[in-house]
Amino acid sequence: MLDQRRTYGHHASQFANNSPGLMDTTETASPLNLGQWEEALGLIAINRDKSAYAGLFNYFAPRLKAFGIKMFGNEQQAMEMVQDTMLNVWQKAALFDPTRGCASTWIYTIARNVRFDMLRKKQSRKDDISADDLWSDGDYPEQEDLQSHSWDLYIIAEKIAPHFAALPPAQRVVMEKVYLEENSHQEVAEQLGIPLGTVKSRIRLALDRLREAVDGQQR
Amino acid sequence: MGNSVKHHPSLSLLEQFCDGSLTPEVALLVATHLDFCPHCQRLSKDIEADLACSFAAAPVAAGQDDWLSMMQQVLAEAETTAKPVTPSTDPVVTNLEVGGHQFELPRALQRLSSKRSKWLTLGGIATARLPSGEPHHISLLFIDKNTAVPQHTHKGLEMTLVLAGEMVDEQGRYVPGDLIINTPDDTHTPRNVSDDPCLCLSVLSAPLQFKQGMTRLLNPLQRFFY
Repeated sequence: MLDQRRTYGHHASQFANNSPGLMDTTETASPLNLGQWEEALGLIAINRDKSAYAGLFNYFAPRLKAFGIKMFGNEQQAMEMVQDTMLNVWQKAALFDPTRGCASTWIYTIARNVRFDMLRKKQSRKDDISADDLWSDGDYPEQEDLQSHSWDLYIIAEKIAPHFAALPPAQRVVMEKVYLEENSHQEVAEQLGIPLGTVKSRIRLALDRLREAVDGQQR
Repeated sequence: MGNSVKHHPSLSLLEQFCDGSLTPEVALLVATHLDFCPHCQRLSKDIEADLACSFAAAPVAAGQDDWLSMMQQVLAEAETTAKPVTPSTDPVVTNLEVGGHQFELPRALQRLSSKRSKWLTLGGIATARLPSGEPHHISLLFIDKNTAVPQHTHKGLEMTLVLAGEMVDEQGRYVPGDLIINTPDDTHTPRNVSDDPCLCLSVLSAPLQFKQGMTRLLNPLQRFFY
């Protein structure tokens, strides 16, 4: 718990371990300034650090509001969601586990759950299905999955090409860099200024999407 | 437990689950599938990370909002709230008894199962509703060994998740964790042909309609299956 980088800088430590000196590149290239929010949550959890919280608040509150307006379609509920989400962030910061994902994902899932329960209460369905029933706090046991890897070469070689264009742009760019330009995952992370974990998850999502497309073709 | 799951939700269903836009009943069915399926657990974590990435990187225009005063309100509220986490008062039930059999419940159903309605029994079939609203109904469905649900069609959507035992229909064989989706065009006869009882979770958007011979007499009873 004493080594802050290990404890809070999930992505930062990933990069630092694999490739010294990469931190600078990613920090300038990424709008997120990797590791910053994970560290802020750590300071809030341990020291009840209000200035770390203020930094986090200023960055995420406007984005939560934009997300809330998109989901609710009105400002009043969006603001209620922002306030409730940020209260949860302050109170539950100690529950944040940087080995399970980055701070923005944690905050996003809190907002999603707050919104879900707001809708439910509005419909006076208090006894009904709640966010807690639906989304476990990330406590599924870790599972190694080798499926995607065994698929890699096979599906690319085969009839994948026509479906490539239909991938969401973010996933397509990563897939092209990995499979057509033959960059390593690490290199792609560096080039795009995104966390290594994001590169890997986009590849898995893209592979699954392609697999679904191929399945559909065969039917 | 998860290795044998073969029938998964589509990616788009998983995406809607992750962004919270599914109806609560369909979301609960997907959440229960995840309890059985490591593959979809990992996919949904990836989808969440991806959604969060766009959320966090979105540019926002400088607005008129007074974030400082909202932050002060939040901190003041935190002071007055004694316990950060309020424990749920609902009993958590990990087992369910029906038809003289004990079933272990997946995590997603443990709190809600204490809120189910009474079991309604018809031959080797029993059903109990979980709390739900419109437009979807969600129920537990017990099918005893060597028992078939009469052939039927659906005016709406029918989604079934096997929780225990196994089931077959015209399309295939289903084991715990398998998700079966039937649209209004599908006619099927789910059967339990094994010597063990079967428990399912079922989401319906409209009552079933029974098709064949004497089972048409069941149509007045269709609310039983809804």
